[in-house]
Amino acid sequence: MVNLTIDGKQVTVSKAATIYEAALEAGIHIPVLCYAKKLLPYGACRVCLVEVEQMKGRLIPSCTTPVTQGMVVTTTSAEINKVRKTVLEFLLVNHVVECPVCDKGGECDLQDLTFEHEVYPNRFTGEKFALPTDEVNPLIERNMNRCVLCGKCARVCDEIVAFGSYSFINRGFESKIATAFDRGLNCEFCGQCVSMCPVGAILPRPFKFKARPWQLKEVDSVCGYCGNGCTVTLGVLKDKVETIRFNDKTGVNDGNLCIRGRFGYSYVNSEDRLTKPLVRKDGKLVQTDWKEALDTVVSGFAKARAEKGVGIVTGARLTNEELFLLKNLAKAMGTGNLDHSGGESYKGVTEGLFETLGVTASTATFPQVEECDTILSIRSDFYETHPVFGMVVNQAVKRHDAHLIVIADKRGKFGKLPHAETLLAKPGLEVNILNAMAQSLLADGLAITDGVEGVVELQAALADYTPELVAAQTGVPAAAIRAAAQQLAKAKKSAILLAYGLPYTAHSRELGIAAANLAILTGIPGREGSGLYLCGEKANSQGAIDLQIVPGKEALDSQSMFQAAAAGTLSALYIVGEDPLTSYPDRKKIETALDKVPFLVVQDIFLSPTAQQADVVLPAASFAEKDGTFTNAERRLQRVRQGIPLPGEAKTDYAIFELLAGRFGKQVSFTGPEAVFSQIAASTPGYGGIEYGAIGPQGVVWGGDLLAVKRRKVVAVAGGKPVETPYQLITGSSLYHNGTVSTRATGPLAVIPSPFVELGREDASTLQVKEGDLLTLRANGVEIKLAAKIDTRMPKGVLFAPYHFSSAGLNRIFTGQAAVPVEVSK
Amino acid sequence: MTDTPQVLFKNRRPGETAFLAEYQRSGGYEGLRKAVKMTPAEVRETVKESGLRGRGGAGFPTGLKWTFFPADQLGEKYLVCNGDEMEPGTYKDRELLLADPHQLIEGMLVAAYALQTPVAYVFIRYAYERCAQNLERAIAEARQAGFLGRDILGSGFACEIFVHRSAGRYICGEETALLNALEGLRANPRSKPPFPAVRGLFGKPTTVNNVETLANVQHIIAHGADWFRGLARTESGAGTKLYGLSGHLNQTPCLEAPIGITLRELIQEHGGGVWQGRKMKACLPGGASTPFMTAGQLDVPMDFDTIEKAGSRFGTGGVTVFDETTCMVEATLNLNNFFARESCGWCTPCRDGLPFVSWLLRQIETGKATMDDLQTLRDQLRNITGTSFCALAQGAVGPIESLLRLFGDEVEDHIKRGRCPLKS
Ligand SMILES: Cc1cc2nc3c(=O)[nH]c(=O)nc-3n(C[C@H](O)[C@H](O)[C@H](O)COP(=O)(O)O)c2cc1C
Ligand code: SF4
Ligand code: SF4
Ligand code: SF4
Ligand code: SF4
Ligand code: FES
Repeated sequence: MVNLTIDGKQVTVSKAATIYEAALEAGIHIPVLCYAKKLLPYGACRVCLVEVEQMKGRLIPSCTTPVTQGMVVTTTSAEINKVRKTVLEFLLVNHVVECPVCDKGGECDLQDLTFEHEVYPNRFTGEKFALPTDEVNPLIERNMNRCVLCGKCARVCDEIVAFGSYSFINRGFESKIATAFDRGLNCEFCGQCVSMCPVGAILPRPFKFKARPWQLKEVDSVCGYCGNGCTVTLGVLKDKVETIRFNDKTGVNDGNLCIRGRFGYSYVNSEDRLTKPLVRKDGKLVQTDWKEALDTVVSGFAKARAEKGVGIVTGARLTNEELFLLKNLAKAMGTGNLDHSGGESYKGVTEGLFETLGVTASTATFPQVEECDTILSIRSDFYETHPVFGMVVNQAVKRHDAHLIVIADKRGKFGKLPHAETLLAKPGLEVNILNAMAQSLLADGLAITDGVEGVVELQAALADYTPELVAAQTGVPAAAIRAAAQQLAKAKKSAILLAYGLPYTAHSRELGIAAANLAILTGIPGREGSGLYLCGEKANSQGAIDLQIVPGKEALDSQSMFQAAAAGTLSALYIVGEDPLTSYPDRKKIETALDKVPFLVVQDIFLSPTAQQADVVLPAASFAEKDGTFTNAERRLQRVRQGIPLPGEAKTDYAIFELLAGRFGKQVSFTGPEAVFSQIAASTPGYGGIEYGAIGPQGVVWGGDLLAVKRRKVVAVAGGKPVETPYQLITGSSLYHNGTVSTRATGPLAVIPSPFVELGREDASTLQVKEGDLLTLRANGVEIKLAAKIDTRMPKGVLFAPYHFSSAGLNRIFTGQAAVPVEVSK
Repeated sequence: MTDTPQVLFKNRRPGETAFLAEYQRSGGYEGLRKAVKMTPAEVRETVKESGLRGRGGAGFPTGLKWTFFPADQLGEKYLVCNGDEMEPGTYKDRELLLADPHQLIEGMLVAAYALQTPVAYVFIRYAYERCAQNLERAIAEARQAGFLGRDILGSGFACEIFVHRSAGRYICGEETALLNALEGLRANPRSKPPFPAVRGLFGKPTTVNNVETLANVQHIIAHGADWFRGLARTESGAGTKLYGLSGHLNQTPCLEAPIGITLRELIQEHGGGVWQGRKMKACLPGGASTPFMTAGQLDVPMDFDTIEKAGSRFGTGGVTVFDETTCMVEATLNLNNFFARESCGWCTPCRDGLPFVSWLLRQIETGKATMDDLQTLRDQLRNITGTSFCALAQGAVGPIESLLRLFGDEVEDHIKRGRCPLKS
């Protein structure tokens, strides 16, 4: 701690603080323009200059200067104000003052500072810039005539996003921010630069001329897309979500978002939303009222219950409270056939973790990863599945020189980070590599084995997984496998990241165990700052696991329900917030099941391909229309808040479940999410003692920052076998989408508008395909056609197609394999 | 030609370059031989005692700078030689490297030994291609002779020197911008702290020194700190200095002379006096970023403290002389245009302030200015002084401040007459 005096006030702050931060803590306002809490010190604008008695003769930038013991700081004086005012006058000389038509008006730092310092009239005049604006893409508009050269856009894109779109070009007065070759912006479109720009130089296009900032109602909530669980602030005008606001003060993600969180909100306002219940009459879905719809559902389920039973499959975008009510409803309906997210996607990994560690969740929290010295990412480049967690990894690597190792079947963004190493394996062989890493640690005596069960058995079982043998299978050099293992073993703080989700179902249990083995052998569980991260695909994937939305004893899981339905041994299916026809593996099986099942109820916000097959469709609520809690992939419970009313007659899943439970004789009369939550807290392991009202802006992490594991048991698991055909297809998430709902959001669609299959240059030239050509992929006698996307990410013989698009029909050939052997032709 | 001992220029012959054989004939690499028998700390201590001050413009005591460097800490660290030399009126490093590249190579090796840096870079201006080639040849020769590479002279110390040709801009000479440029980044200065000695090249401890500074080091080790101090004519000064003359003189040589020689000697004896029989009006004593001195100050000894007392800075020792027909407003405008153009664009006072100052000076020079404009100019100087991110803007202010201080009447004359009084 350091003591100093600011404007006569005694202040004690940490010695890492800058003068600006110290003043802020003491409630003293120093104006800033280029400073940003989450970026490295910069010191360019010179608005924040102050006087320091010990450094006379010049003015000191408060945003970059660390405090020292006994410092005496003056933050305002005639001299300082004059210099600040001059800086503003300079900035205003060339800045095109367009406040009346600039969307930033009302929350523009330059506007506010000009007002605060009464910069009028300007003593200086000069030429205004007349640079062309960049409006090439539909999401972000750049008008460099308004730029004040604070560098924040370039800094955030480099330091945090690690994309590096922008740089300054030219010198002196001609300096400006530009993209490579000064072309139109072409990037990840995460919008971080939009949120950081203090003026109206970078603006979100979908929000153009929509509202003045003060007209917007701000509602803090949680992004409805992925398990990263980013805090978002809905900007609401006239009952519509018009934008997602920048907010680095609340929440856990420092205001960082990915394209989905920032620009993916538009589906909420879509004209295609379901606003009335539908029932099938004479083979056609027609609108009806809730009474008829519920009557039909209740009698249909009652009948089914009396016959071969009902099955319930839900998605993981429902709140904890809704999931809890659904579980109650299942009880009321007397069925144990309950599952979520296609079952397979979470089942294997959680079982694996439970066997080894006795837990079914990440053992530490995201921010801790920034301080890790070694990070191992398995299967996915986290940008595709959990982009904002990926940004934490960026910062670990870029700011703290963390060592990053990626085990993957295609190259990704992580691999481009400084000193990052991608162990590029043939598809489906991640377990083999993890096994080899464990083998080498045990063989070299580097493993932590004290208090670990099963070591001898594991060591014996791993005889077939020496780095050399695995190198021959996977194509990853043995030395690289050993080096990676050693790197992990010697780290003081380390993290292992594993994503799961609908497109990643193969070897799921093996992968969970192999990752946990490695975590145990390198001492990760329970060690301060280290963690094994299990990252679910959807906003409340972890909540669904915590609340045990799983089949009861002897009951059917998701796969078995569809199997049973297809075989005619299940009488009704209730599908909530999922589109299995599009997103579950093996479309043929799902089609047959939906076709054969006598009674199908689908509850959704859109008339999805699955809903189109239903007997009754119940219109539900999006994340922006409900209250409750989500649990993200680091076990953080956060409040979801209603920002806008429900469209038409749509109801929340919460309300629907309550109504149905009543009809099944289990009248539940909760007063709202808070009351449900207290039941959840009382009955869910780890949630005990958490109060709904106490879940603040930072959320509450159940189990604490470091989750205590129940055991440390290493278990032998078999690796995969390589697919030997010349071409194999893998699937997964693409960065811009998540699940299927993002294919209805204009933001992600603006960048990835349609399905594609990605292949490497070498394969493209062998196959003589060009970008955009239709490629025919054939497997198990089924054929699909996809437009080719050619780049340098894919290894030879490996093709990638994202799974989000219904029209692609990818799940006609993808039935859950790690890699699909395919024949490819033009 | 001169009676002062020639240390750096002793092998200098018109149109020729001295390489290893010649360099060794005059005692070359004796400093290194001696240094590797001393401990690195002893070498550093000797340099500190010698009173050597940086020749790159700021005049920071070299020995003191080295005490900030974690020489004894293991791990990556770097020595970087600043050969960017783009300040108008400064060309001494070029002359040294054209004449005798081993001077720098040996100096760097001794410095690298003192600082225990296994890798050293010479960052050299793109326009100095001949110098770069000379250095590369000198490095090859030194390696052949066992002065460079692994286990230098059996001492166990290893050092490699690399020559980096800069894309070249004035700001690249600022030491932290130089480090960015060396890393392949845009040449913006970095925020200090952390200083390069803590976090420099590639984030590792780094010392940056000027070409001439480093070339003095082996001589200090070879002949001792006292000898070095004795070379200067002033009490507090130490060593000789390379002076590059330019401007309105009969001759414009670059020469080696003691620290403490007077301006008069430089101008009269070495420059052959002001050209065309005219009188001197002013001079820049140490490059374009130093305040003007006048004809009345010719007897000031050329040393850091003495020149500072006279209201200017010793800078790089590049002396530019202006004769009595020069319009000082125009000369200053010309200088400021350079700084405005070379501003890296990072901070507001420099990026936007310097062009505005140029505009004001142009208004004055063309007779369009009012007394209010003059007041604004004074005001601007205050606003730029001590507010910019790096020393470039600070340097730009020097000549303008001295213009107003020394030639105030001439400036006001422009305004009162509505034209330049020196042009008919
Ligand atoms: C704008 C600017 C340009 C500079 N250019 C040079 C240069 O070309 N060569 C140089 O040696 N030092 C230059 N310097 C000084 C360096 O920043 C640094 O002080 C010097 O290299 C240190 O070496 P020394 O201590 O040996 O003089 C420059 C400084 C500034 C602010
Ligand atoms: S949108 Fe994101 S990736 Fe694109 S330039 Fe802005 S910060 Fe960089
Ligand atoms: S575009 Fe905005 S964020 Fe980027 S430098 Fe300009 S003002 Fe700053
Ligand atoms: S999709 Fe995931 S990473 Fe992106 S903003 Fe939403 S929660 Fe964050
Ligand atoms: S003073 Fe000039 S050169 Fe230095 S950082 Fe600022 S703009 Fe760049
Ligand atoms: S906020 Fe400190 S210099 Fe810009």
